Amino acid sequence: MLGKLMKYEWKGLKKPLSILLLVLLGITLLTGILILTINPKYDDVAVGFSVVFTIISVFLYYFGIIACSIGTMLIIAIRFYKTCYTDEAYLTHTLPVSTKQLVAAKTITAVLCHLFMMLFIFLTAFLLVGVFVTHMINLGEFDMSDIPAHFFSEMSDEFKSEFGIGFIGYLAYIGIYSLISSICGIIMVLGCVSLGQLYTKHRILGAIIAYFALTMIMQFVTYLGMIPMYGKLFAAEFAGESIPMFSVLQPTLTITLVFSIIIAIVMYFINLHMMTKRLNLE
Amino acid sequence: MEEPLLQTIDLCKQYKGAGNYMAVYHMNLSIPRGKIIGLLGPNGCGKTTLIKMINGLLTPSCGCVTVNGYAPGVETKKVISYLPERTYLQSNMRIREMVDYFQDFYEDFSPERAYNMFASLGIDPEARLKTLSKGTKEKVQLILVMSRQADLYILDEPIAGVDPAARDYILRTIITNYNENATILLSTHLISDIENILDEVIFMKNGSLVLHTSVEAIREKLGKSIDAYFREVYAC
Repeated sequence: MLGKLMKYEWKGLKKPLSILLLVLLGITLLTGILILTINPKYDDVAVGFSVVFTIISVFLYYFGIIACSIGTMLIIAIRFYKTCYTDEAYLTHTLPVSTKQLVAAKTITAVLCHLFMMLFIFLTAFLLVGVFVTHMINLGEFDMSDIPAHFFSEMSDEFKSEFGIGFIGYLAYIGIYSLISSICGIIMVLGCVSLGQLYTKHRILGAIIAYFALTMIMQFVTYLGMIPMYGKLFAAEFAGESIPMFSVLQPTLTITLVFSIIIAIVMYFINLHMMTKRLNLE
Repeated sequence: MEEPLLQTIDLCKQYKGAGNYMAVYHMNLSIPRGKIIGLLGPNGCGKTTLIKMINGLLTPSCGCVTVNGYAPGVETKKVISYLPERTYLQSNMRIREMVDYFQDFYEDFSPERAYNMFASLGIDPEARLKTLSKGTKEKVQLILVMSRQADLYILDEPIAGVDPAARDYILRTIITNYNENATILLSTHLISDIENILDEVIFMKNGSLVLHTSVEAIREKLGKSIDAYFREVYAC
């Protein structure tokens, strides 16, 4: 039944998500084409127009990325609200499935959709960087052979001595951190929608208040998590030592990540509780 | 003695908040198999609250409800076919997609029966629900619910808000499509329209059970129709 629930969840989410993807793809292609129009061989006016339009398009792309991230979260939250707490919930909650399966299907599908959107954003950014670099090479503005053979190994060594961790290791850490954070973020949003149902007369407003209240708490914990970071920095300053950046950042990142995971677990159980013990459809 | 299909024991539902309103008050009810039962009462008497508790959409404040001996959960949802008083179908879906949805989740759902009924009413399965009129949406919903071979059909106000011709169709659909070993619990306050199809009636008032008896008993002992007796019981 979990598979069937996920199938219909995906069916419900794919159309609005596809619209977001198409819009972002359109902006990416437009930006890519505008990058290709920049050519110093043309006269100054034409080059000026190309550069200005490319800059505008890059801004548009930047806002498109933000819109896609927030839009995905909103689409997921609206679908969860509609199918679990409005008229459609009469069907959702009378299906012969357990509440655990229901919550799991909605959470897993939402997380996968969010990750898919993040991957798509990453690919469009990669595409734009690729187009830019290739175009610059074709114009002769940039030559790969200019880069010394030992450039990357020197950069890597410098990064390691500065950060206290290899570049690949750092990327892996940030990647895993972002992955877990986004999963926790989705579960938190779904939990806030459920918490909003406690305000029976203003359910949507209740969900928004719950979200902002929780965000503020998380912000406060992040500030608390910075105490070890500042502690280390001050200690190093007094001792006149230099300490690697990653060892300064890591405790803060770990504290906020652990707190996010705790919040996500609590929110998962809030979802279960609201759908079993506190369900009160209008 | 045969185990009742549906049983409530000392069932209560209190809504927290202003006045701690008691929507269902210590209700003891036993419903057998193979009957069409009218759940009757004025607006706000607790019919829908009782129905929601049977379907597991509300948690009782006290007491319990069982269907086939099970508390509301996966096992009871497999055997209850529920038509709520509002449209619960996703408006952007096509009728065919809703049929697939019901077929995927309910083992006892018959798509052939559903498509036959759609054809007899001239409803296009490719139509999106949002393009249909309110009456047609209600018919689609009823067809989906009645295309299951359930043990218990719970129909909450199935004929409210539709024209008399549609009412006739809905009542005909109910009578011709239910399994004889199944029970239909039909909630309404439009009694004159349905009293001819009922075997038993349950009268509710202010969240309490007032009467649970057979239609025959009312007619024979009191010499009144259900509609006339209802007006007498609930006279303002």
